[in-house]
Amino acid sequence: MKFGKRLKQHVEETLPGWRDMYLNYKDLKKIVRLISSSLEYGKSEAEFVYLLNNEIEKFNVFFMEQEENFIIRHKELQQRIKRVNESEPSSQGEYEEEIARIRKDIVDFHGEMVLLVNYSNINYTGMAKILKKYDKRTGGLLRLPFIQKVLEQPFFTTELVSKLVKECETTIDELFPTVVVAAPEMKEAAIIMAGEGIFRNTVAALMTMKEIRKGSSTQSHFSLPVLNLPDTELIRSFQFNSPIPII
Amino acid sequence: MMSLLVFPPWIVLVRFLNARNRLWLMMVMIVVSRFSIATNVCENASENVDVVFSHGNDNEEELVKFCIGNEIVGFCGYNLRKRLFIVVELSGMSSTNGTVGHIVSSSSGMSSNLHISSEEACSKKAPFINQSSEVLRSTAFRDYMKENNTSSWCTDSLPYFPDYPENCPIQSSNLQIMPCEDVGKPNDWQDWADQLITEDDGVTPNWNEILVDTTVADQTPKLEFHVGESSGTSLSLQVKSLVPASPGEACTPVTPSSCGSQSKPRMRWTPELHEAFVEAVNKLGGSERATPKGVLKLMKVEGLTIYHVKSHLQKYRTARYKPEPSSEGPSEKKPTPKQDLSSLDLKTSSEITEALRLQVEVQKRLHEQLKIQKNLQMRIEEQGRYLQMMFEKQCKFGIDPFQPASSTLEKSETELTNEISSSPAQTKTEPDPVKVGSPSSEKQEVELDPSESQPSKRAKLNESSSTESS
Repeated sequence: MKFGKRLKQHVEETLPGWRDMYLNYKDLKKIVRLISSSLEYGKSEAEFVYLLNNEIEKFNVFFMEQEENFIIRHKELQQRIKRVNESEPSSQGEYEEEIARIRKDIVDFHGEMVLLVNYSNINYTGMAKILKKYDKRTGGLLRLPFIQKVLEQPFFTTELVSKLVKECETTIDELFPTVVVAAPEMKEAAIIMAGEGIFRNTVAALMTMKEIRKGSSTQSHFSLPVLNLPDTELIRSFQFNSPIPII
Repeated sequence: MMSLLVFPPWIVLVRFLNARNRLWLMMVMIVVSRFSIATNVCENASENVDVVFSHGNDNEEELVKFCIGNEIVGFCGYNLRKRLFIVVELSGMSSTNGTVGHIVSSSSGMSSNLHISSEEACSKKAPFINQSSEVLRSTAFRDYMKENNTSSWCTDSLPYFPDYPENCPIQSSNLQIMPCEDVGKPNDWQDWADQLITEDDGVTPNWNEILVDTTVADQTPKLEFHVGESSGTSLSLQVKSLVPASPGEACTPVTPSSCGSQSKPRMRWTPELHEAFVEAVNKLGGSERATPKGVLKLMKVEGLTIYHVKSHLQKYRTARYKPEPSSEGPSEKKPTPKQDLSSLDLKTSSEITEALRLQVEVQKRLHEQLKIQKNLQMRIEEQGRYLQMMFEKQCKFGIDPFQPASSTLEKSETELTNEISSSPAQTKTEPDPVKVGSPSSEKQEVELDPSESQPSKRAKLNESSSTESS
């Protein structure tokens, strides 16, 4: 139940509007168990497929809606930057303020997009796992053809969002002053601010990913390799151990 | 065996297991919005919802009454023979006769977003909501009750169903009707299942999926329902379910053409499309002045419907006048601005900038890893597909698949092993060309029949339909 636990943890930590949009992994697992003990094999498979299709539908709808929002916001941010650079009359202080706001917004926006890609990935992983379980328990051959279909779904084709992420990064590079070395106090301040908002989610997502990919008993050469992040310790320090999920 | 958990104050989790039929049954109770009891309840937040079970009878119907205090808030019944649930929510609970009952069901066509897969440019105009929805009059319910031996229901329930007033709006409440097995003949329950909730014009309901599906059996969708406060003083209930969609929509997603008129056209916006949209809006005088119709006309994009434009325009307006963050619910973002202000006070701007920079670095890292992971996943599947194909070919040619004679198979497996184990977790710009995806090198012209069952490791033989059912 390792993935299931990780998934549950992730869902609890994720953005509120997203919590219902993840794969119902636990329930599907139960159904697989049920099916494996039922006798009506053919019919059950059709129903299982039906359920999976519904999950896929859910992902697709959510994903495409978020994607649409991102497209709009991306353009809007660019407009804002343009406006702030072109408008002369505002004082230096106001300019700085607006730029600071834009910076914060764009970084959060970047984070949110990455979280959507993460969403896509986690659900795909869950799907692959549940299909594998199904085949294993029922002796079926559902996994291979079905996963091919999943690969083509909108929620998995994240190219556009990734492209937006890249463009965002370019804009961010332009927006932020060319950096000097970060003093330790800076790092500390950063860590304090990391406890809030989107940053918290992205850190959590990264750690979850690492956990999911830790070696397991069923690791084979078809499994994903263990994730080795060079900055694990640093990233871990960003995590705040709040037992109560912050809503 | 039934289990019921009630969490104060508003979360009720019910799982209903009927051991006799080895079915997992579930009940969903939908509770009311805008009924006077709801108001009472909202005000007295300490009240809990009680679920009272009363057991069946000859008709094998089991009835559950949902009560708050002494008042009945709703019913849920299950008719074992017909294998249908019906859930009734009551409103306006004065104990005598001012009450209103209505039974509703709906299908999943309630999403307010319609999309067209951009490749397909469906020119047909799909209705905004697939199924028309109407409130079922409670008189029909009464008729049913009469017809079906009203003794099966709690007798004190009957007085609670006068005519349903038409102007009682329903806001984000929903009911589920879930048949658990094939219902052979059409019956009243089925009719009910087809009737849907009306939608207020101003309300965009966030309908969670609701199912009517006669082919669903042996299901164990577990439903949780939370009763919480929604806008105003109304209660809203969100049903999370594994079994949405109506029978007409049992089609695979993203292939609307295969589903005929029942399909849900899905629209996938692109930046280019959005550019065209913004241009059109600007020509029409800005986001406030522009109308969906006007924008649609100006854009001249085939397959785009006014509903797409309408919803997109709404999003656009929100984004402009409530800049960042606009897509998240208010709850998440409210605390953040406040904290921002205080932290802005305390920290210098360079510290803030530094913090943001760090944040971007972490996010970039996550993104990188995600791309690598996705790549690997795709290649694993490709490899799997290739191996399967090879295997099938070998079967066709009468080679014993269990003998390790296939050098190609071994080779490809080792290749994959090497690739995967050697793939670094760090940045990887270009994936290595997949050496295994070249069946054409085989020179054998074999017609691959994917529906042919595999003798490998599988005890059961699949019907070809089940393999292709996905």
